Order: sequence, then C-alpha cells, then structure tokens
Amino acid sequence: MRDELRKAFDSVHASRELKERTLERIRTYQEEKKPRPAPGLRRGLAAAAACLALALAGWGGHWLYFTPTAAISIDVNPSLELGVNRFDRVVSVEGYNEDSQALAAQLSVTHLPYEQAVEQILDTQEIAALLAQEEIMTITVTGSNERQRGRILSQVEAETAQSPNIHCQSAQREEVEAAHDLGLSYGKYRAYLEVLALDPTITPEEIQGMTMREIRELIQDLSGGQQEPQGNGNGQGNGNGQGGGHGSGPGWGGRE
Amino acid sequence: MRSEQEVSGAIGRHADTVRRLCLIRLKNEADTEDIFQNVFLKYALSCVDFESEEHEKAWFIRVTLNACKDLLKSFFRSRTVPLDEMLEQPEQAAPDYTYVLEAVLALPQKYRDVVYLHYYEGYPAPEIGQLLGKNVNTVYTLLTRARKLLREKLGGDWDEG
Repeated sequence: MRDELRKAFDSVHASRELKERTLERIRTYQEEKKPRPAPGLRRGLAAAAACLALALAGWGGHWLYFTPTAAISIDVNPSLELGVNRFDRVVSVEGYNEDSQALAAQLSVTHLPYEQAVEQILDTQEIAALLAQEEIMTITVTGSNERQRGRILSQVEAETAQSPNIHCQSAQREEVEAAHDLGLSYGKYRAYLEVLALDPTITPEEIQGMTMREIRELIQDLSGGQQEPQGNGNGQGNGNGQGGGHGSGPGWGGRE
Repeated sequence: MRSEQEVSGAIGRHADTVRRLCLIRLKNEADTEDIFQNVFLKYALSCVDFESEEHEKAWFIRVTLNACKDLLKSFFRSRTVPLDEMLEQPEQAAPDYTYVLEAVLALPQKYRDVVYLHYYEGYPAPEIGQLLGKNVNTVYTLLTRARKLLREKLGGDWDEG
C-alpha cells in the first residue's frame, strides 16, 4: 500500500508552464527591485516637490481667500468696515472707534456672504435702535474690482431700499486708505471732508465721536450759519460761522 | 537576493515537493499557483545558507506549509468560497492510483500532512514533529489514526514504519 501511495504522489508534478511562470514572476520582481540611480534622492525630491506643491496650494488658497478685494463701510456711529474677498465672503470686521470695536467684537459675520453680514449688522439691537431713531446711515462700497464693487453696491442698495435714511455709495480704494490714515471709516471721512470745507478747525477725532445725523446737522448748521451770519451774530457777540458751529455742540451731547 | 541560476536550480529540485504539498493543502489551481510562486519568490529573496540538500528541502516544506496555512486562515478566504472549489482540481495522478490519492485527500487536514510526510517523503515522526511544530506523541497519534482510516478505505498493509 505504501508503494501505491508513493506511485500516486510520484505522478503529481509541477507543470513546465507553472515553473516558467514562476521564474518569470521572480525575474520581473527582481528587475523592479534593482537599485536605480539614487532612488532615495529621487524619492526625497519627489516628496519635497509634493510638500512644496501642497504648501503653495495652501498658501495660495489662503491668500486667495483672505485677501479682501472690496470693503463695505457702514457708518452711523458706530462705524464698521467689512473686508470682502473675491468670493463675496466677509473676511474681516473692523471698528474705527471704541463703540465700533465693541460692536465688531460681538458680531460673528466673518466667512458669511456679505449680504447676510450686512443684514445681520442692520438687525443688531444697537443699530436697529439707531435706525428707529431715524439716524442716518451711510454704506460705502469700495474695491479695486469695478464689477464686484457694482455688484455689491446694487445688492446692498436693494437690501436697504426700505430704509430712506440709509444712503449707499461707492468709492475709490485710495480715498478709503486716506480715511483709514485718519482713523475714520470711509463714510465718516466723506462727511469729515464736507465739514472741513466749512469749518477748517474740525478734527477727525471730533468726527469720530459723532453720529452721522449729528454730522449732517452740523453740516447743515455750518452752511446755514454762512447763509445767515447775522442771525447768530447777535447772540454770540463777535461770533462768526465758526462760533455757530460750536454753538450746536451741546446739542450732540444731549442726544447721546 | 539569489541569482536566477540558483532559483532555477531550486525550482528543479523542489518544484514537485511544493506542488504536492499544495495538493494536499489547497483545493484549487489558482491558490496552488499563488503559493507555488510565493514560495520560490521567498527563496529568491532569502539569504538562508543551507547546510545540505536535506536542510534545503525541509526549509521548502516548512515554508510551503506555512504559506498554505496563512492563505487558508486569511480573513478573505475564511469568509468566501472560491467558485472553482466545487470543481475539484483535476488530478494528474496515474489512473491506476487515482483512488489512493482520492483516499488521502479525503482524510481530515491534520492526517493528510503526516501521511504525506511519513509515507511519501519518508520522514520519521520526530522530524515531522519539528516540521509541523507538533509534539512527537501527537504525530504518532495522528499517524496511527490516519493508518486506521486508510486501512478502512483502501485495505492493504500499512506498516508501522
């Protein structure tokens, strides 16, 4: 029986094809594994290139996203400025005086589409209360990209169409930078320029603390003062246009 | 890494042994070919110095059995049934002895190994114990039971040696 078993197993062989395929596979494997010129270096270079590409993509994405291409300046008092990126999303919120900074801190509008951000700001208790008191609000859209600026302006205008005391305008980037240099948001800067033309002694700091309505009233008073110099002159001795301007000072305090 | 010549020589010396071990352990051609190639690839990549041809043969037996064991207990294998498993691989055994082969392959797995190693390869129980990682007494027990089963199926004389 043992012999029979031996003969039975003897007749089992590895076929010639199986042996050839095996040799072929080993040959292929060995060729693939053959040392190539400085494989470590090549792999290192590839890895470095991949890392660099990733870093650049990351940095590029970061730059694309976080660089504001337009700004929306919202001025009552407080005055806020929203930085808007090329994807129409808010990437920064800045306040230009203490009140504004406090308001900016309580908002969470970064990364929101600008329409939602503006809406949220107009809905805050503080701003809504000011608007209810018929305070004047100026929304200024600036940006180097004309198309984006136009798009944002028309959107914001549409959004605020129901409120007659909200004025929307657009402006050049350079003017906005000049405003920031004085520590003013753009809407206030424009108002400041108007006041300055009538009253050269006005300082940006004074303007910073006033509401837009107060500034508007001041402008009216100042231009009114020039138109009716005699009317005020009696009561204030030798007072002139300038004297009239200061005369309305307590009036601002009374409103605050 | 070994040269192509060395690998070719080893295939010449041990291909049949590896093929027969695959036969008693595996059930289909695809697995057999996989294991067969893997075993010789392992040899090509190994740096083991063999003291003798016997030592080399024992290495091949152990590596083949372990490779089969790994394949059979792999997660995928243990949960699927290969399509061709039902179409048992056609055996090339000489027609006169096919029934012997069938009787051996019909034995439970643990008996097939010892029968092949003892009756075909001629290893004594202590060496089989070493090859399979089993206690010598276990090997004796397995051999005794396997003999009994084969005698029942095939009759004839199965000596103790």
